[in-house]
Amino acid sequence: MTFDAQAATRTPPKKVIFRIRRYNPEKDKTWWEEYEVETYRGMTILDALLKIKEEIDHTIVMRYSCRMGVCGSCGMVVNGMPRLACQTQISEVASEAKPVIELEPLKNHPVIKDLLTDFTKFFNKHRSVKPYLIRKNKEEVEKGDAEFIMTPEEHKELYEYTLCIACGLCYSACPVAASDDRFLGPQALTYVWRYVSDPRDEAWKERLEAVDVEEGPWSCHYAASCSAVCPKMVDPGAAIQRLRSALIKYKLGLFKKKTAKKAEIPKEQIKPKKPLPPESKLVEGVDIEAMDKAPVEIPIEELIS
Amino acid sequence: MAEEKTRVLENKPGWIASINPWVLRIVNNPERVAFVLHRVTGILMALIIMAHIYVTGTPAHTGWEAWVEEISKAQGFSLVTLYFFFFAGIAWFHGLNGIRLLLVEFFGVCIGKPEKPKPPYLAPSLKACQRKLLYLVFLLWPILWALTGYIVFFK
Ligand code: HEM
Ligand code: SF4
Ligand code: FES
Repeated sequence: MTFDAQAATRTPPKKVIFRIRRYNPEKDKTWWEEYEVETYRGMTILDALLKIKEEIDHTIVMRYSCRMGVCGSCGMVVNGMPRLACQTQISEVASEAKPVIELEPLKNHPVIKDLLTDFTKFFNKHRSVKPYLIRKNKEEVEKGDAEFIMTPEEHKELYEYTLCIACGLCYSACPVAASDDRFLGPQALTYVWRYVSDPRDEAWKERLEAVDVEEGPWSCHYAASCSAVCPKMVDPGAAIQRLRSALIKYKLGLFKKKTAKKAEIPKEQIKPKKPLPPESKLVEGVDIEAMDKAPVEIPIEELIS
Repeated sequence: MAEEKTRVLENKPGWIASINPWVLRIVNNPERVAFVLHRVTGILMALIIMAHIYVTGTPAHTGWEAWVEEISKAQGFSLVTLYFFFFAGIAWFHGLNGIRLLLVEFFGVCIGKPEKPKPPYLAPSLKACQRKLLYLVFLLWPILWALTGYIVFFK
């Protein structure tokens, strides 16, 4: 997702109407409900939802936890685009000309109530691709007496994919998942590629063969909506294309897997070095020693005025 | 207590997502418009080709030569030239975008390189050469379609 720093730091409209698509599972009924919220600069969609829940309507249901774009719980469709409620500033999606924000539950995930969706299927797909390192010799990992060396370049190749927080926004945006329940989806397939391309993983053959099915990367049509909505810049769309072309190469016998060298951990402990003071001046034209001696002066009057 | 079945709302747009790129209003995602156009043009071409084979095989036309003779006579705005023009528009988009999709989906190229995230956090594949190719497709498509129209109607 592109982040527009200017829009995110703007002051939002004073009052914003929230149109929320609600669902009551007991009556199996959906409807739109409107709430007016007084905003402040820096207010996120989640802040506004909590304010609505506290002050206007206690029955509204959503899920959140970290409030800072880390846990991946608070995904919802904001003005037609899957976003994290806690990471979206009101000023990014509402304007003076149109101070209205529409909130819907994430698409392609079943709705339990209001904005709360059920991730069981989504997490099962994630689990099904075995999202962890697999070594042939289990002892290596259990004993922990060896290190698998990865170059910074190799690390960079997959670092992006490790940032996924399993928020399900990509799955919600995917037009293939919209019509095919079996499709593994951008998130799980990204994890497959993340481990196939990891030099330390030894189950790449099994992974490639397991994913060579209709619900695997073959079903992707590169609408790239996953990459356009991902809040962590994971680029799942590209990961699926890399996985698919690796699969084609594998079937033609052309796929080369990078493998990590093993390094023994030294038996003797390395003595910690005492840090040395910097030899040259860190900042051009600044005498650090003189600064050390001079007392710190904070211009309080200037700051207050 | 009466047994209560927990209900959930399916909430899946279904096949409509394949023909309406704006089921969701995702910012900065022209690839999705291309996906819908590619699918619609592909299906239309498959239908047109079946109809075409059926029509050219009927006694009125009997075979390829008769068909070629018929279309070589067609001039100006007639049913045959309009059909040609319509088909050209579909085929140009599908063919041009098809080349881009082959590069991206089968060769895994034109999608950029993985990066460390930095502002404005735009996914590498969305600024890679596939995006430039997509803009090229959207530029060349009307030009080639118009040129074909010129040839079909005025030549
Ligand atoms: C220049 C020639 C062509 C090229 C380069 C081409 C390329 C492609 C590619 C790469 C795809 C896969 C797209 C995806 O993954 O979403 C595709 C799909 C398709 N093509 Fe073509 N194609 C060509 C001609 C045709 C013709 C002549 C027909 C009709 C008979 C056709 C019908 C289809 C259909 C129905 C699909 C499936 C669309 C979908 O599932 O989204 N194509 N084409
Ligand atoms: S790939 Fe991105 S959008 Fe998809 S689950 Fe992971 S963090 Fe969320
Ligand atoms: S609440 Fe954790 S990501 Fe939004």
